[in-house]
Amino acid sequence: MISLYFHIPYCIRKCRYCDFCSVPVNETIDGYADALIRELALKKEQYPDETTRTVFFGGGTPTTLRADDLCRVLELANRLFPLAEDAEISIECNPKTASLQSLKTLHGGGFNRISIGLQSTDDSLLRRICRVHSCDDFLQTFEWARTAGFANINVDLMHGLPGQTTEQYLGSLQQVFELQPEHISAYSLILEEGTPLAEDVARGKETLPDPDTVADMQDAGMDALEHAGYLRYEISNFARPGYSCRHNLTYWNNEPYLGFGVAAHSSMGNGTKWYRFSNTDSIPQYLRKIAAGRVPEAERILINTFERMFETVMLGLRKTEGVSYASFSRMFGCDLKNVFAEAIERNRVRALWEPDPERLRLNRRGLDLLNMVLLDFQERNYWDLLKAD
Amino acid sequence: MAYDLSRIRNFSIIAHIDHGKSTLADRMMELTDTVAKRDMAEQLLDSMDIERERGITIKASAVRMFYQHTDGNEYMFNLIDTPGHVDFNYEVSRALAACEGAVLVVDATQGIEAQTLANVYLAVDNELEVVPVINKVDLPSAEPERVIHEIEDIIGIPAEQAPCISAKTGLNVDQVLAQIVETVPAPKGDANAPLKALIFDCLYDNYKGAVSYVRVFDGEVHAGTRIRSMATGNVFDVTEVGVFSPSWKPVESLTAGEVGYIAASIKSVAETKVGDTFTSADNPAAEPLPGYKHVNPMVYCGIYPADGAHYNDLKDALDKLQLNDASLVYEHETSIALGYGFRCGFLGLLHMEIITERLEREFDLDLVTTAPSVVYRVFTLDGEEHIIDNPASLPPASEIEHMEEPMVKATIMTPSAYVGTIMELCQNNRGIFHDMTYIEEGRVNLHYTLPLNEIIYDFFDSLKSRSRGYASFDYEICGYEKSDLVRLDFLLNGEICDALSTIVHKDRAYPKGRAVAEKLKDVIPRQQFEIPIQAAIGSKIIARETVKAVRKDVLAKCYGGDITRKKKLLEKQKEGKKRMRQVGSVSVPSDAFMSVLRING
Repeated sequence: MISLYFHIPYCIRKCRYCDFCSVPVNETIDGYADALIRELALKKEQYPDETTRTVFFGGGTPTTLRADDLCRVLELANRLFPLAEDAEISIECNPKTASLQSLKTLHGGGFNRISIGLQSTDDSLLRRICRVHSCDDFLQTFEWARTAGFANINVDLMHGLPGQTTEQYLGSLQQVFELQPEHISAYSLILEEGTPLAEDVARGKETLPDPDTVADMQDAGMDALEHAGYLRYEISNFARPGYSCRHNLTYWNNEPYLGFGVAAHSSMGNGTKWYRFSNTDSIPQYLRKIAAGRVPEAERILINTFERMFETVMLGLRKTEGVSYASFSRMFGCDLKNVFAEAIERNRVRALWEPDPERLRLNRRGLDLLNMVLLDFQERNYWDLLKAD
Repeated sequence: MAYDLSRIRNFSIIAHIDHGKSTLADRMMELTDTVAKRDMAEQLLDSMDIERERGITIKASAVRMFYQHTDGNEYMFNLIDTPGHVDFNYEVSRALAACEGAVLVVDATQGIEAQTLANVYLAVDNELEVVPVINKVDLPSAEPERVIHEIEDIIGIPAEQAPCISAKTGLNVDQVLAQIVETVPAPKGDANAPLKALIFDCLYDNYKGAVSYVRVFDGEVHAGTRIRSMATGNVFDVTEVGVFSPSWKPVESLTAGEVGYIAASIKSVAETKVGDTFTSADNPAAEPLPGYKHVNPMVYCGIYPADGAHYNDLKDALDKLQLNDASLVYEHETSIALGYGFRCGFLGLLHMEIITERLEREFDLDLVTTAPSVVYRVFTLDGEEHIIDNPASLPPASEIEHMEEPMVKATIMTPSAYVGTIMELCQNNRGIFHDMTYIEEGRVNLHYTLPLNEIIYDFFDSLKSRSRGYASFDYEICGYEKSDLVRLDFLLNGEICDALSTIVHKDRAYPKGRAVAEKLKDVIPRQQFEIPIQAAIGSKIIARETVKAVRKDVLAKCYGGDITRKKKLLEKQKEGKKRMRQVGSVSVPSDAFMSVLRING
């Protein structure tokens, strides 16, 4: 069983911090759904026998496409890569791009989870980062989503935004708690090179809260989320019991997925041959290749076994439940404790593990320092020894 | 057949940096058809990249030219180019000793500078005839009259006949050539006397071995001559003699009065020391030429590879540089913080900078250098004297009776507007004022005694910035003086970082300790635990700072498309970690050691 990801690269306007593959809506959008449908057929030839556990429409803003077009894509996906009975089918949406009608159409077409980008309930902050909506727009969209029948809703929030205070952030969380969404993603802003925000910060035109303040926000936010009954199951993701996002867990469990659309990534393989590959990030090129009946792939990397082990740890340790020793040895036929003995020991000395006989998992401090922990896991001494034998 | 002695002129050019020495040499070579115009690389004599970029001469070099004088005769000119910096004072003195005359080039817009003066005095000490030349008269701000008076007043030589030239355009350069014939005496010497050849420089060549640049004073040398070094007694068989045209050109023989090179399959330049005399092994001279001395390094520092894995590359590079530079000394050293590296000795700060720059550029090495140290004399209670060039080897304070540090006599020339700020600078650096003389209206000469220790950091830079670049500076070592010195240590998380220790004057320890601790706080990245930084003299803590613990080091988002990129980011982080040094439990970036050097507390 695999997961499917569809990338919709259009937004009404790009946010100042965003470095995802997205562009303002333009005329290429009209043929985009049909291109996805053709790509589904192309990939079916390469992977004829796959069935699907989860589907995710992300972006950009997927709801910039017409709801019935999105449903057409989903319908074909179901036909070519049959969806499981209990499949999780998510779509991302930004306020002001969806109506009650379109949300009803989506729900009727099979989508059963919706993720709404709010970021903050403070309108002046929203304007400062160039969001197109107000807090009221969001509240309206949330209400429509419930009315349309969505019983699994995520709300995206951010902290560390320019000018943001801890009080503001906690206020946003409280307001969201009142709506009782099933899932909340709470991200710390990443200042990505080349984004307008990064340029503003470099030129001194915009200032971000200092790292200690951001850490305060994050810590206070985590406490508030937990207090409100949202369990942290990944670095930035919180859910009521039973509502973890199964699609995103595919990534963190290092399981296979196929990506469709511009700049979509895939990870597929079997045994020792594992590949990560991605589509071109140019919309015109993508459309041209699809029109010519060619696979729009831009890059393909062979992942060797050690790298795949490392990835499994790198991604798995993002989860509060960590990596299960049993599943690791099922995947690789060797013991996680042996392969990474030294790295595990070094971080034991630093007191970053949560005691657990079944799983390797980080405690709260360990999750805060994940990058530091992973540097130790990059050393492949033991693995080389093992292979030399 | 030997060239007529009366038609030989051996001379060098003395000039301050940027006053146009190399450009003048280029024009001379053009005028004498020594080098075809199309072959002229800009500033032919400065062959190293660093020399060209900095506009300075590091190694001496020489060129032979033939000049048709208006008297109808042809003259052989041997121009010996000298390094222009105080660090190479001894080399300059030996190069000058090989000449009978010196062309003094002074910039008509600047006047005489401290270093020029030092070198002119060297020339006068060596009984050279000085030919003053006023350069850059084509510039609008040129004041040739003023500069001529300055030369007469300060140096005390007549200058009214000095050619006013522009080496850049070639204006009046022919006058310089004519004056060399008329003013510089012909060499004296006896071609039949036993061989005496002064080594004024040497260079390593992959095929010929160490090649000595010599001035023959007496006798004759040719391929096959057995020569002996009068300093070491070593004997060599000459394989080739030649002249500089300006590249090496073999000739039959070199005789008294001539300048050229000798190759004798000598393995290293360390065996052919500047200032040494070669004589004939079979018919030796009774006395060597005067002036040879063994030159000791003045400034020491530790040099380490930024990535410990490159120790052997660094060793190979130092071996290669030493082939050409006998004044560079180094020995293996181990630092707790920096691992394996070398303790290196240099003639001075510029020499140190040049060597580290060449190591990085020509050998593509990333280096960590520790704070430079001078050579201290330490007298312990048991009555013994220790020579200390590394703070780490200083005996415990309780065992020290007293310490002495090297002092320099400094000459600073500056427009009088900056006297106040420069005196303040000297005072801050423990300078003892001697006198101030007016060179002319608006320009003064300041004399100070300063500890060498105080001028090896950024004294020169401060001087330049305080005087907007107008002040010039020269110094000579003038012995040792008793001084109240202490070792200043830095502790990271309670452990001494040996690479950061320095020896400083007691009065300077507090400000320096505070400044370095503050700087370290900025350059040491946050780590898992809070890191106390302490400055200490012995067991006494004099400054304290804290690097707070890192709170978050994690990427907020990682989904399907981020994984490959995230892995690359971690790879980069891992590369960065390789460049970190472990001091106890603390990771210190290699750059931290460097940035601390730039502080003069």
